[in-house]
Amino acid sequence: MQNPKTNANQERPRGRPRGGDLVAASLCEVLNLVRLGQADTRQEIERTSAFGRAIVADRLATLGELGLIDEAGTGVATGGRAPRLVQFCKERARIVVITLNQSALGVGIADLSGQLLTEHHEPGDLAEPRACIDRISALVRWIVSRQAKVTDLWGISISVPGPVIANPAERFIRTTPDFLHDWGNSGLVETLLREFQTPVWISSSVEAMTMGELHGGTGQGETSMLFVKTGKRIGAGLVAVGRPYHGASGAVGLIGQLPVTADGQTGSLDRMAGTDMIEAQGREAAATGESSALAELLSRNLPITAHEVCQAAQMGDPASTAIISRSGHLIGGVIATLASMLNPSLIVLAGSVAQTNDILLAAVRETVYGVSHPLVTRDLRIVRSQMGASAALLGAASIAVEALFAPSVLRDWIMSGSPVHHPEMVESLASANRSEPKVQSVAPPPPAAIRT
Amino acid sequence: MTIVGLGPHGEPAAAPERVTLLPQDIAAARARNLRVAIVMHTVQSDWAKHLIQGIVAVLGDCGAIVMETIDCDFSPDLQIAALDRLRGERLDAIISLPVDNAVVAEAHKRVSAAGIKLVLVDNAPTGLLPGKDYVSLISADNFGLGKMAAELLARQLPENAKAGLIGFDADFFATNERELAFSRWMEINRPDVRLTTTRFKAVASAGEATANMMDANPDLAGMFVVWDTPCVEVLSTLTTRDMAIPVTTVDLGQEVSISLAAGGPVIGISAQQPLLQGQAVARTTITTLLGRGCPEWVALPGLGVTRETVAESYQTIWRTPAPREILRGLDLLT
Repeated sequence: MQNPKTNANQERPRGRPRGGDLVAASLCEVLNLVRLGQADTRQEIERTSAFGRAIVADRLATLGELGLIDEAGTGVATGGRAPRLVQFCKERARIVVITLNQSALGVGIADLSGQLLTEHHEPGDLAEPRACIDRISALVRWIVSRQAKVTDLWGISISVPGPVIANPAERFIRTTPDFLHDWGNSGLVETLLREFQTPVWISSSVEAMTMGELHGGTGQGETSMLFVKTGKRIGAGLVAVGRPYHGASGAVGLIGQLPVTADGQTGSLDRMAGTDMIEAQGREAAATGESSALAELLSRNLPITAHEVCQAAQMGDPASTAIISRSGHLIGGVIATLASMLNPSLIVLAGSVAQTNDILLAAVRETVYGVSHPLVTRDLRIVRSQMGASAALLGAASIAVEALFAPSVLRDWIMSGSPVHHPEMVESLASANRSEPKVQSVAPPPPAAIRT
Repeated sequence: MTIVGLGPHGEPAAAPERVTLLPQDIAAARARNLRVAIVMHTVQSDWAKHLIQGIVAVLGDCGAIVMETIDCDFSPDLQIAALDRLRGERLDAIISLPVDNAVVAEAHKRVSAAGIKLVLVDNAPTGLLPGKDYVSLISADNFGLGKMAAELLARQLPENAKAGLIGFDADFFATNERELAFSRWMEINRPDVRLTTTRFKAVASAGEATANMMDANPDLAGMFVVWDTPCVEVLSTLTTRDMAIPVTTVDLGQEVSISLAAGGPVIGISAQQPLLQGQAVARTTITTLLGRGCPEWVALPGLGVTRETVAESYQTIWRTPAPREILRGLDLLT
């Protein structure tokens, strides 16, 4: 629904702000005070914002008309009449969240507070971008169709298994960043923009998981946290002073490239300690008979991946335990260096290897506690994430919420009541609608080729 | 058989054999005089009865007393009230099958916060985390069940057919997984098949939902119903309309098994193994009460059942001979 006030906001003047800008700025401030729980009555808003009673009343009326604020509840009386509670309407719209990793994809839906309402995860293969995008579209359609009460979709936030270098000048992306080989031309962002007509954000899975752990996991309330994701690639995220740290260009935590040495071999941490190494060593242990558990899988022609090695280790298989321990000691060595420099209060290990067994955690703890200065480890906790891939979904929701309600973005859409009407978003959608799909959908396979 | 799906937080599955009890574990459990309650969505279905049977037997071996088995009749309100009441009892563990998602999440969190071990069956409300808010989720590989049902139905669907998907209108992990796996398999392997979906809010209204779907889609060539009890309602609707299109469903309930044995309309079933699942639930409960770690998601594979295998599968799953109606449908009785 187009609000007549929108037109006044289409062109932002230079120089001294005009009345419309001032109104938008005060609306943003009042909304964010309420949204972030810093004020929940008119009196508190007046006190916290320094706006007068008339302005607060006017802004709340406007925000109420836009469906962003609700004043139906009453607070606790402190003598006299109970004050009306001012609450943020987190049910005003929904945000779809997606996580992609090397072998799975997940989709969820969140409210405007960033709380995850439902989620689904299934196997996926990033090696086939077009099929993957088709499936993502189908899952987004499915999850949106299950929202009978709230139909407005205000964004799609995606976490991907690779670094995403953002363009600070671009508030709404229009094209797919080159986060993995073959994905820069995949048309992921363009397809979602065209089909769902809503903003899209992309962030690295490490960044999203760090945010998720900070908002819904062990990291809640922590001001200094190091998050390490283990998998095919090994990456880290950092929370400093209670906020995610992005570095100079958003390339923070790419520790997988660092060289490490073990058994006379030197290679990158990814290559020496990631799931590819675990899988290769597991197959070797199966072939030589060093691991009886893995040899049994081999004899039955069952697959041996890092997952099987982790499970065998958890069941007590000595050879598998040694493989995971070696990986943990190498990762622990790099983490110890980071911990010695940054002095975090919490280190969270996540990712497929950390999730399926405690041996990696034990090896990392042993190394970090063994080589770091006692002052670094005195109060340091090293834990395993309990969130699984949900951390990426929850983090993606937080990233979208922060982007939507950042004052610099919010002031340009708040008068219209929906971010879809943000001037730059309107341009992004127009651009997406003009573009044609780059790749046609994959042809159906022959009937004999049944796939899972 | 491998597990196809992923857990509620994307976890890879752990096999039920990952949770085993040695004689010394059983002895240690018996010395503890443990007390457990079971909170079910229903206790009426064959599946629920056998799941409870599996739980109770293993708990009995371990000297753990089942203090109560509660039937929530699919009602979130009843479940919330039951969990809040049980928090006040002297219980070591509660085994619960959450009947909904967000609605019952806080009530389940309160159980864990009260220091009672919470073991979940089939569904994990969004926001609850394993190891923190609950011990473990034990379920069938529901994604695999949906895929299996699609494969079975696809064999009977002509080219360019229209198929109906009859889903459950609740945010429930197990049925969501089946629905998504079914449609995914069709999208990938039978892109010629057009899918139309309807959902029922309660088992009793599944027939009405199906009738409405059939009115809107008179050319339906097959159907998948997300579990057997509503499938019985769907079969009744088909009988009323004198239609016999192929149907697949999940769980080897008696009525759908009889239909399968008789040659239709049910032409295939992907079956859970509730007795084995119940035993895994009990072993997980005892394992955590003994202070040992448990996998976040324990999953049991499903069993694909056709007319050729229905009698033996009935015995495998229900541990009882197949009823005479099934044998008669198979022409095994003179």
